[in-house]
Amino acid sequence: MNVIVCLHAPPPDAGGRVELGRDDALALAQVLSLAATGAPVRVTALLAGGATDTAPLQRALAAGADRAVRLAGEDLGSADFHTLGQVLAGGIKRLGADLVLTGMRSDDEGLGAVPASTARQLGFVHVSAVEELRIGDAAAGGASVEVVVRGGGRKRRLRISLPAVLSVTAGPRPPAAPPERTGNPSDVEVLSLADPERTVVRRRTEFLGQPETPSRGTETVTSAAALIAALTRA
Amino acid sequence: MTAKSRAKLIQRSRAKPLPRSRGNPDPARRSLPNLLVPIDLRDGEPTLPSLFALSEGRRVAHVAGATVFAIVFTESRLPEAVAAQLGRAGADKVLLCEGAGLGAPPLDATHGAALYAAVERVPPLLVLFPAGGAGDELGPGLAARLGGAFAAVADLEVGEAAVSLADGVGRVFIRRWRGDHTGYRRIDPVELERPVVAVMPAGGPPADLGTGDVEIEVIECLTPPKAGVVELDSEADDQAAVALASVLVTVDPALGPDALAALAAAAPAGVTVVDPTAAPAGLAAAAPRLAIAVGARELRLTNTPRGRVAVVAPPGGAPPRPSADVLWPVPPSGGAFWTELAAGLGALAPGAASAAPPKVPSGGPAKGPTKGSSKGQPKKPAKGPAS
Repeated sequence: MNVIVCLHAPPPDAGGRVELGRDDALALAQVLSLAATGAPVRVTALLAGGATDTAPLQRALAAGADRAVRLAGEDLGSADFHTLGQVLAGGIKRLGADLVLTGMRSDDEGLGAVPASTARQLGFVHVSAVEELRIGDAAAGGASVEVVVRGGGRKRRLRISLPAVLSVTAGPRPPAAPPERTGNPSDVEVLSLADPERTVVRRRTEFLGQPETPSRGTETVTSAAALIAALTRA
Repeated sequence: MTAKSRAKLIQRSRAKPLPRSRGNPDPARRSLPNLLVPIDLRDGEPTLPSLFALSEGRRVAHVAGATVFAIVFTESRLPEAVAAQLGRAGADKVLLCEGAGLGAPPLDATHGAALYAAVERVPPLLVLFPAGGAGDELGPGLAARLGGAFAAVADLEVGEAAVSLADGVGRVFIRRWRGDHTGYRRIDPVELERPVVAVMPAGGPPADLGTGDVEIEVIECLTPPKAGVVELDSEADDQAAVALASVLVTVDPALGPDALAALAAAAPAGVTVVDPTAAPAGLAAAAPRLAIAVGARELRLTNTPRGRVAVVAPPGGAPPRPSADVLWPVPPSGGAFWTELAAGLGALAPGAASAAPPKVPSGGPAKGPTKGSSKGQPKKPAKGPAS
C-alpha cells in the first residue's frame, strides 16, 4: 500500500529551527505505526515548497519514511488552499497513492482546508479529524482502512474504502518524535511544477483574507478575581 | 403541520446531483445575500453553538440585507417545536435536507452532496457552521466545491465597506486568527465575489433575535451510491462537551488531582473543566469564547479575535505563550492558588453577572475527563448508520 503523508513547512521555532508541523507529526506517527506493525506500507513524505523548505522532509526520513519528495514551487507559503490542493494533487497523481494522510491544520494559517481541496482534485473520499488508524480487514472486500472519528456526539469506528484522503487530529497516539538527527538533504527528491499539467495552477492569495495586526496585548494580573474580571470585561 | 404550529411548509423539491465538473461555478450566482447555518442536532435538539450561530447570523442579517436559513439534515420530519426554536434564534427559513442516513453524524462522503444541494437551492453569501459541529468535516469540502473561502473559527464583524454598496450590502466581514496567532485575517465576501464558509465560536446563550414564525422548505436528498464509508461501531462521545464548550478551563495534570477536582466541583453550568491530556480531540475541535489554561502545559486552542484566553502560570512554570489575553503569574507563595480561582468561576457562567458573589468550592474528585454542563452534551446514543 502506497501511503503519502503531506507535510508543510511551519514557521521556524524560537531557535530558528523548522520542525514538523504539529498535526503533521500526528499524521506521520499514524502511518509509521502501521509500518511498525508489519503492515505492507510504503511511506512517502510529500511537501510543496521551495528549496529551503526541506527540513520537515528530512525529519520524516529520519523518523522512518521510505521516501521524501518536494514539489518544487517558490512562494507557495502564501498560496490559498485551492492552489495548494491542486499542486499536491498533481504530485500525488504522479507518485501514485492508495492513502493520503495529512495533519488536520497547518501551523501557519491553521485553516484545515487543504486536505479537502486535495481530495476533491483527486476525486478521493475525504474524512477529517481521524484519531486512530489501522489497515482494514481484507476479507471485507477491497482495500480499506479503519479509523476512529468523532462527530454529532458520537465516537465512531468507520471502514473507509481506498483511495482516500484522511486528515489526522490529536488522539491517543503521541506525535512522531523524530530523533535530533535529520535525513540528508540530497535524499529529498524534487518534482518540478514546471510541466504542462500544472500550468493551470493559479495563486489566489485573496482567499486567505487581508492581514491585520492584533489590537491588543497581554494584561498581567495579580489575583484570580482580577483574572476573572479581565476575562469578562467587554 | 397542525393548526397550533407556526412553522409552515412552503415547498418540497428534489435535490440535483452533484456536478461532475471540478471547475468553479459562476461567481455571480454565489453572491446572493443569504446566510446559511447548518444545524448540529443532538438527540433531536439543536446544540447551543448552533443557536448562537443563528443569532450571530440574525445580528448581521439586517446590515447585509440577508435572509437567514437554518439547514437541518434529517431522515424524517422536523418537530415543529424545534423549527420554532430555530426561528426564535434567528432563522427566517428552515431548509430540511431529508434522506436516508442523513440523521447520522455528518461526513463529507455521506452528507456533502446533501449540503451542496441546499447551497444550490439557496446560493449563499456566508455559510456559518456552529462550533463543535460538522464545520471541520463539511466546511472545507463545501468551500472547495464552491470555489469559495474558508475560515476555521471566525467572528462576524459589521463595518464599512471599502467600496460603497447599495443598501449596505456587503458590510459584513469575517475575521479570524492566523493559526500561529501572529495576526488576524479579514475576508470581505462581497469583495471576494465568492461565498465564505466559516465556523463560528461557541458563544453564550442565543439572544432570541428572531420569532417562532418560520417557513420550512424540504429538499429530498438521495444517499450517494458509493459513499465509501461504513460505520462499524459507535458509542457516545465522552469529549463532546469539551468540543461544544463556550467557557473552557483546562487544568494541567502536573498540578495534581486536587486542582482538577476543586475547579471541576466549583464549575457552574455552562463552564467545562477538563484535563487537556484526557480530551485531545475535543480540545482540537473546541472554539470557546472564554478559556483559562491553568498550569504550565501549553494550550493549543482555536478561538476567534473576539474570544479571550487567560493563562494561570504556576510558580516556576515556563513562560506562557504570548497570545494570551490575560496572564496571572502566581507568586511562589501562591499555594493552592486554584481554590482562589475556583471561587470566581461562577462569574464565568453564561448569563452570569460579572459581579457574581464568589463561593467556596466543596472539593471532591472529578468523574471522567470533564465536568460542567452543556445543552449539546449527548445523553443517549444517537441512531443511524454512517452510510
